[in-house]
Amino acid sequence: MRRIMKKAALLLAVVMVLMALAGCGDKKNTETLNLFTWDGMFPQEVLSGFEKEYGIQINYSNFDYDEDMLAKLETAKGGDYDLVIADDYIIEIAIEEGLVQKLDKSKLTNLANVDPVFQGHFYDKTDAYTVPYGAGIPLIVYDPAAVDIEITGYEDLWNPALKDNVALIGNYRVIDGIVLKMMGKSFNENDTAVIEEAGKKLLELAPNVRLISDNNTQDYLISGEAAVGFLYTSQVTMALAAKSDLKVVYPKEGLGFGIMAGFIPSQAPNGDAAHKFLDYILRPEIAAQCFEHIGYVCTNQAAVPYLSEEAKQSLSLPEEAQSGEFIMDISAEANETHERIWTEFKAALN
Amino acid sequence: MRRSNRRGIPHGFLMSLPMYLFTLFFVLAPLCYMVILSFLTRAEVWGVVHEVTLDNYRNILTPVYLKTFYESLKLAVICVVLIILTGYPFGYFMAKLSSTWKRRVSMLLMIPFWTSALIRMYGWIIIFRSNGILDKLLMGLHITKEPLKLLYTYPAVVVGMVYALVPFMIFAVYSSAEKMDWSLVEAARDLGASPAKAFFTVTLRLTMPGLLSGVVLTFIPSMGLFFIADILGGNKVVLVGSLIQEQLMKARNWPFAAALSVVLMILTSLIIWLYRRVTKVRDLEGFY
Amino acid sequence: MRRIAFSKLYIGLVLVIMYLPILLIVIYSFNESKISSVWGGFSLKWYEMLRTDRAMHEAIKNSLILGALSCCAAAIVGTLGAVGMSRIKLRTKGAVEYLSMLPIMIPEIILGMIFMTFFALVGLPFGMTTLVIAHTAFCIPYVYMMVKARLAGMDASLMEAARDLGASPWRVFFDVTLPLIAPAVMSGMLLSFAMSLDDVVISIFVTGAETNTLPIKIYTQMKTGLTPEINALCTIMLGVTLIIVTLSGILGGRKKGDA
Repeated sequence: MRRIMKKAALLLAVVMVLMALAGCGDKKNTETLNLFTWDGMFPQEVLSGFEKEYGIQINYSNFDYDEDMLAKLETAKGGDYDLVIADDYIIEIAIEEGLVQKLDKSKLTNLANVDPVFQGHFYDKTDAYTVPYGAGIPLIVYDPAAVDIEITGYEDLWNPALKDNVALIGNYRVIDGIVLKMMGKSFNENDTAVIEEAGKKLLELAPNVRLISDNNTQDYLISGEAAVGFLYTSQVTMALAAKSDLKVVYPKEGLGFGIMAGFIPSQAPNGDAAHKFLDYILRPEIAAQCFEHIGYVCTNQAAVPYLSEEAKQSLSLPEEAQSGEFIMDISAEANETHERIWTEFKAALN
Repeated sequence: MRRSNRRGIPHGFLMSLPMYLFTLFFVLAPLCYMVILSFLTRAEVWGVVHEVTLDNYRNILTPVYLKTFYESLKLAVICVVLIILTGYPFGYFMAKLSSTWKRRVSMLLMIPFWTSALIRMYGWIIIFRSNGILDKLLMGLHITKEPLKLLYTYPAVVVGMVYALVPFMIFAVYSSAEKMDWSLVEAARDLGASPAKAFFTVTLRLTMPGLLSGVVLTFIPSMGLFFIADILGGNKVVLVGSLIQEQLMKARNWPFAAALSVVLMILTSLIIWLYRRVTKVRDLEGFY
Repeated sequence: MRRIAFSKLYIGLVLVIMYLPILLIVIYSFNESKISSVWGGFSLKWYEMLRTDRAMHEAIKNSLILGALSCCAAAIVGTLGAVGMSRIKLRTKGAVEYLSMLPIMIPEIILGMIFMTFFALVGLPFGMTTLVIAHTAFCIPYVYMMVKARLAGMDASLMEAARDLGASPWRVFFDVTLPLIAPAVMSGMLLSFAMSLDDVVISIFVTGAETNTLPIKIYTQMKTGLTPEINALCTIMLGVTLIIVTLSGILGGRKKGDA
């Protein structure tokens, strides 16, 4: 056994050295763009197209949570990364922390393509720092064949008929938030007593919960593992694409709303390349490709004609969602309460 | 031996110097920093403020967080017991195989390590999900009539944990059993001990170092492998690991995450120490 | 005879269960459908996609470099440490040993967190350096434990003899000890490499702008939707491993026959 191990290791070492050598070559000469966002935010063709056209090599690295991104950016003091795409609330913090540079709008010739509905929001009121790239509203989706009741709002998720049949996303601000909405409060409630009360109501949902997952939540709906899902927009799009008889509900109690946007860190090593890339993805036909890929609400009005018919439907912002409420950063104390009631809720599931 | 000792000290020290330094700079120092962090206060928006407080530890005493610790420990104990029950016989039997088969089996055990652990868990989803492979098998054999909801249950998490960790136990037990002096077992049998008695008085004692290192290597990860609870348990089983991750990544409460980590570390060290005291094994056995 | 049959049956059964999920992953890598719960017919398109996915190639390359560097570093530090520690009797020995074993004894998430906060504190820029340090930290224990176990089971008289013949401790190390413990070092390295190649929790905390690793890519992809491309990658990794194992088996077998 030992001899075999030794041989295996030797072979492996040779393979590794070869791989390392093959990889180390040609990198330094070309200009690069360090793109930092979630995985799968761009179709491969769009990335390759940019590389070919501008001769800039893209370095695509991923984070899992917005907070992870901010931690990295803080330690790099706004350097290392050239372009970041993240959620609205974290961008607000990043701007406050001085980690974001102002955009040079003379370099963004396609900026007018952005749908003004998605501009001028709380995280960047003057649009000095960011370019929106997709928006989302968490929605209820259900399989009418597997559910006996009519679902119109969050409240119906509590219906005993849905026992062990609901799939939820794992963002506690959103889930706790829908309870607050049912109570007629805001997603961004800062009063801990109110949040505590929401926590009590949330505990009553526990028997209905089949699973909580941030990842591929739509799959469980498609495979019939759960009959009702409360999902992110991209997941709603994917669920509908795979199973068109699913029904989408815009809950009557009010919607949550979020925008993802791209920004350039204050000390970005290749700020120029970042501007070029931002401008490139603002082109109507490129943007259409991107939005069809990510499945978030299209923030580029010029791209709409280039979308496929189904995508025009699913990627447009419906009338009722215009009133959606942003989920913003709240006080540390309120956040701690959220975290605790969420843990209590999860502990009650099992 | 006397001579070699006298001459060996400086060289031995020189040799272990890199490890001393590495441990000092990259294990001890970060650990100390974590302990310090656990006494600081979180900043309102981002980062920490240098205000010393005990609040983070007081926070742990909240019933729900205490319960999380209890649940984690319970899951870890269940998993380790099952790991011992499945892994110990495997390692023991493996040591009795011919050398060719020992080699083959240990290769077969190693190969799964070379694929992503995350992806292997997805393989289990295919098996467990409703109308999945297990359901079809059971219904085909007329054992069950309708799809069981196996995925996102406690047992699914336990299976995932055992699956992910059992190779560590197998290697640990195997390395002990392989080095064991089988003539001692034979002697016990010759002296009239029943197979069971011979096993418990001789074999088990001699393989205890392996068993212990197996327990240490599997007990602690089973409290921290939160992605298994996420993928197979549908996030319904709250582990200290997932709590720390949530505090760190979503709640941005680093000091509380640090305090949770410190408590978890003390707890696990205590368990290891206790186990050593009980089994009177001083040294950790390598699992080769 | 019946006992032996039972033990083989048991080993066989456990191995079958162990390989079942892996087999399913291989099968589903040929799935035409993007959704893992639906079988859409046989297809090689995920392999084609894997071939053209440059971000994936970059991640694989980074992971292999990282694995190689950290398992080599761990091998040097861990082997020297194990041999050195066996020769000294310092009071701090036990403590250092315990501390150096901690990286595999504490939950990964804690390790990731302390590394991230610590590197941020000392101002070490995130990237390959931080990744290698963190991975080396949790690889050392594997090498150390294996070498130590091997040393414990070794005949000390050989080294004793070499020393009595006047060889310096370093000569003894290189000419006598090292060849004897080489198999343990190798298997420690192999295991370290596998662990490094599979680590996501620690890596995600300490990685930098240009060092996306394969597990990070897989883990973050789960968020947006895991495609069978990953299954295809796993199948290839499995295939390469099998080829290496088989090749080394053939080579090893021949050598044995020659001797």
